[in-house]
Amino acid sequence: MAIDNAMPILIVDDYATMIRIIRNLLKQLGFLNVDDASDGTQALERIKEKKYSLIISDWNMEPMTGYELLKQVRAAGDTARTPFIMVTAESKTENVIAAKKAGVNNYIVKPFNAQTLKGKIDAVFGE
Amino acid sequence: MGAAQAKQQQPDNSSIDALITLSDKLKQNKTKNMSLTDVIGVAELLTSSLQPLLRQIDSTIHTELRGILLRIEGLRHEIAKVRADDISENKIPEMGRELSAIVDATEGATNSIMEAAESVMEYDGNDIEEYKNMVSDKMMHIFEACSFQDLTGQRVTKIVETVEIIEERINLLCEMLDMSGTGEEAPKEELNAKQQRKKDLLLNGPALDGEGVDQSAIDELF
Repeated sequence: MAIDNAMPILIVDDYATMIRIIRNLLKQLGFLNVDDASDGTQALERIKEKKYSLIISDWNMEPMTGYELLKQVRAAGDTARTPFIMVTAESKTENVIAAKKAGVNNYIVKPFNAQTLKGKIDAVFGE
Repeated sequence: MGAAQAKQQQPDNSSIDALITLSDKLKQNKTKNMSLTDVIGVAELLTSSLQPLLRQIDSTIHTELRGILLRIEGLRHEIAKVRADDISENKIPEMGRELSAIVDATEGATNSIMEAAESVMEYDGNDIEEYKNMVSDKMMHIFEACSFQDLTGQRVTKIVETVEIIEERINLLCEMLDMSGTGEEAPKEELNAKQQRKKDLLLNGPALDGEGVDQSAIDELF
């Protein structure tokens, strides 16, 4: 799958500020078709309504964590291959491995800059 | 040990002598039936010989209980110094309020800074002078917003001081209860369903400097 600046992207984070930061970073990278959700449950509702080309999700959220969202996304037939980038403030190898086993495509540690985000998006889309 | 107590704990020789005499008498007359007078005499002797022993036990228990009572009274007095009600009613709620204020201040400042930055980025006019004034104005907003650091710094200092007071009082309590350095394993914390879920599924939050793994180490896993 090639990168298309018009592709729909879903940001999932329980901090409005973080959503705003990622939205601005994506905007800087040329991605303008961006939606957001405040936790895994809301993200699943969005995913039912719209097909996303990329999901960028935080891990620590209630009531549904990013890790649980990832597993649900991978378990559903139509989203099983949707690119999924996990973004977390904590970076423990065991968590990264768990996320990778659950099917995450890449993993970013907060705080990060536009260049890091671009690098991960490029890597996910094989560019 | 006081003289009276020492006297109480000495064996009563007359009772012991009487018991020996009774024992000899019973051995000599073991084939004969005992009269009622003999039985009463035996009962009297046994009762009188047990009295000093019972007095001694009673005195020991009394002394032990008195010691425990004094220790409890002492602990109550010392525990009062910990002022647990002050911790639960004032100190901890105060810390909660300070932390909420910090969250609000940082959130407010972040929003102000981001709004200013977004305005600068979104400018699509052609007037250089207007753009320059707008950038200057937004930069001033950013400087103003950055004053949150001073306020949150002061709040954090207050929280640290409160935590130190609580730490001091907990240490005092541990010393009073001889709990420090016992090497005893603390009882396992019982978690409710919500706490267990958090423990199982949520991460601990940002790692401190030198802890956790950095982005390059994570990249190697992909």
